Amino acid sequence: MKTGTYIELVGEFYEGSVFIYGTTLLIIYAILAILSLTAVRRFNVLDTRIDYNLLLNSKLTPGVSVIAPAFNEALTIIQNVHSLLNLNYPKYEVIIVNDGSTDDSLEKMITEFELIEVDFAYNERLKTKAVKRIFRSTNSAFNKLIVVDKVNGKAKADASNAGINVSSFDYFICTDVDSILDRDTILKLIKPVMDDSKKRVIATGATLRMANSCIIEQGFMQRVVVPKQILPRFQEIEYIRSFVMGKMGWTVINCVPNVSGGLGMFDKEIAIQAGGYDPQSFGEDMEMVIRMMTYCINYKIAYAIRYIPITLCWTEGPATIKVYGRQRSRWARGLAQLMFAHRKILFNPNYGRLGMIVMPYNFVFELLAPIIEALGLIYYVVIIFLGAINWPFAIILLIFVYSYAIMISTLSILWDQITYHTYKTWREILTLCVTAFFEMLVYHPLIVFYSLKGYWNFLANRKHTWGNMQRQGFGQQASRTRVITATN
Amino acid sequence: MVAFITADSLFGPFFRKYFYYYDSYPLVIQIAIFLTGVAISTTFIAYSSILFRRGRGYLIDVRTRKINTFLDNLITDHIIFNEDVMNGVAPHDAELDITPFTKPVFKQKWVKQALIDRLMYFSSSFSGDRNVLFRRLFVELELEKLSFKKIKSVFNSTKILGLVELTSMGIAVADVIILPLTNSRDRKLRSEARIAYIKLSKNDPFKFFDDATEPLLLWDQLELFKIITTTEGLTIPNFARWITYSPNKSIVSFCLKLVMHYNQSEAIPAIVKLLETKDHYLRVDAINCLGKLKAEGVESHLVAMYNNQPLRCQIEILKALGRFASGNQINFLRTEFIRSTDFDIKKNAARSLISHGIQTKEIVQNLIDTATPDSAIILKHCMNPLIKY
Repeated sequence: MKTGTYIELVGEFYEGSVFIYGTTLLIIYAILAILSLTAVRRFNVLDTRIDYNLLLNSKLTPGVSVIAPAFNEALTIIQNVHSLLNLNYPKYEVIIVNDGSTDDSLEKMITEFELIEVDFAYNERLKTKAVKRIFRSTNSAFNKLIVVDKVNGKAKADASNAGINVSSFDYFICTDVDSILDRDTILKLIKPVMDDSKKRVIATGATLRMANSCIIEQGFMQRVVVPKQILPRFQEIEYIRSFVMGKMGWTVINCVPNVSGGLGMFDKEIAIQAGGYDPQSFGEDMEMVIRMMTYCINYKIAYAIRYIPITLCWTEGPATIKVYGRQRSRWARGLAQLMFAHRKILFNPNYGRLGMIVMPYNFVFELLAPIIEALGLIYYVVIIFLGAINWPFAIILLIFVYSYAIMISTLSILWDQITYHTYKTWREILTLCVTAFFEMLVYHPLIVFYSLKGYWNFLANRKHTWGNMQRQGFGQQASRTRVITATN
Repeated sequence: MVAFITADSLFGPFFRKYFYYYDSYPLVIQIAIFLTGVAISTTFIAYSSILFRRGRGYLIDVRTRKINTFLDNLITDHIIFNEDVMNGVAPHDAELDITPFTKPVFKQKWVKQALIDRLMYFSSSFSGDRNVLFRRLFVELELEKLSFKKIKSVFNSTKILGLVELTSMGIAVADVIILPLTNSRDRKLRSEARIAYIKLSKNDPFKFFDDATEPLLLWDQLELFKIITTTEGLTIPNFARWITYSPNKSIVSFCLKLVMHYNQSEAIPAIVKLLETKDHYLRVDAINCLGKLKAEGVESHLVAMYNNQPLRCQIEILKALGRFASGNQINFLRTEFIRSTDFDIKKNAARSLISHGIQTKEIVQNLIDTATPDSAIILKHCMNPLIKY
């Protein structure tokens, strides 16, 4: 057989496969768009009639533990803890886990919150690095606060597990100490838990957004602004699409794959039974949620994971390519690790929707997508060099994909506008809509590149060390927060 | 297939006109061109919707602000500062001038709705005489007819709106209208109907407890709890009735909470009987209720059943013994603290021992001195006033 024939055969096979793959993906996006619209509209109608204040004065309000791991956050920790202590909820505790900080985070907290070391009966339900001391405040104004000082566990997961061990209530919220939470975060997240009789709601989540250009005072959001820097602005659109369209769509059919590590409420009993967060995982949030689902299926517990379309948490997104690259490589590595670890669930009908929808979707359309896209690029180059490309058709297909991507992003922004009226000016919405035009050309290639890098790190089993993520802080000096990065 | 044929007949001429070779393109390319058109159109529709939504939202805000100021002034002048009521005339006998509320502007449907909304708002902010006046205005302007009309709507969301309006304004509604709605399949309608029934029913406000087939969600319980505990003039029944007979577990669980709130010790025999239930979540609730009612008489019964119970129930029994703090079970608690290897059992036994106060002071000190470091720290944890849980 001639070489040309081989290439033609491979080309035909590839084109056929990509056609099926692409069509399926586009259909899924269209279905998600419809499902999410239903969910967003339904939420919008019901939410306007809900009196969340009922929770504030009721004896029946469930308790919630807010867990926030901290590592070298000295510059911002005081105001962030103050903001966590001022959430609008009557029955909650704030657990700050000082994960072996090498700066003066702990000393600052001890002074500011009048902390003293207490004899605390620590029940190590989840294995963690040693907890050295536990502090409580002598000032009754801070009686919700618990500070745990532990040996550095080299992962947020380890610190979160220590927080879970210390927590007193049946539900816990996991967040980052430098994230900005809406005052009503707990009120809004506990509602779906109290609203389901047929299923046990094991986790709830809400939309996250970029805090980069927002005006924040004393740890609270004063004015939401679309990020001025280009990279966080792309991430803003990506988050809107992922949360408002993606997760809201999945929540309708109870197939939410992940509750973000930035903000999520969990059923403590199920989380502990499932083994808590895995400190070895690079995507510990999704990994735990998958294990919680698996546990429920194994023990025949009818479970649900719910998302709400309103933004309750703002986080500072990476503003430089270097930091962004580290973050995305880590996420991609986490996904690959997760798929490998839970490969027995994949396409396994015994695991119901988890085995037949959640895992396959994430495997085929999240994990494989960067690989297929990269192969597509290579294929393009090859056929260009061989002169086998049909330029008019290639351009038509590119325009199609491009316009479809813009449509999905624009619809996400529209869905978001149904519940979220926080952008004050037309200009901000316009900025987001215009940014969507450049996303596929500028931002998407970055995602593909860093995802492939993450996969490579996973396959090569590269060691990871703690890198530094330069945060700008909110109207303050830069603080240094760690992220995991892959090195040789 | 049919969709494509229709689409082709609709859009085919357009494509043939503007894409000369369209018919000769492969199917994939034809679909791509067609869907590109759909995507571009949808994107523009989305832009228009964003524009429209924001524009409409802005106009509604402006309009609502304006009408609310107007309505608030009228309500303040004619209702809140009603001269007769301020001079001590009973609100039912006071002269109510409704003429300002019958101006032509009130003929518009949205203004009427805005007035209803403002009356509901004021009604929730005031009590006593003023509330009677708000209700009189609501009735005299025949706004309640609009609300009743809403209840009869085919749309559940409209029915809910009607129910909320009548409930907020305290307008009596016949049981036959609300009762069927208390078992509606629509969760929100069901919930609002139950609230309305408790608040508005003149005969037996808790009757729907007898017939409730759908579960009471935790959120429903929260709403009902508030209504039951804050509605004036509501005759509170003995909730033991449902604890004994209701087949609906969520009703039983909710009644236990109400028994605790109203401290209905007469319900204790019914709760003791509930200890035999196979549902251990319900059993936990029952034990919790007995503890909070300080039903010391069942102490030995709880201790006797302790060893056969799952962990959750055992913990609740230990808590109950701490709440009784009778002094009769100190040895039992001490033994459990020493014997058990389970952290939660140890902690709750310790907490209950400590809650006995002076009676167990020496025992606790002795335990601290002799126990293992891990056990001693549990006792210290429970004794520390800075640690609540």
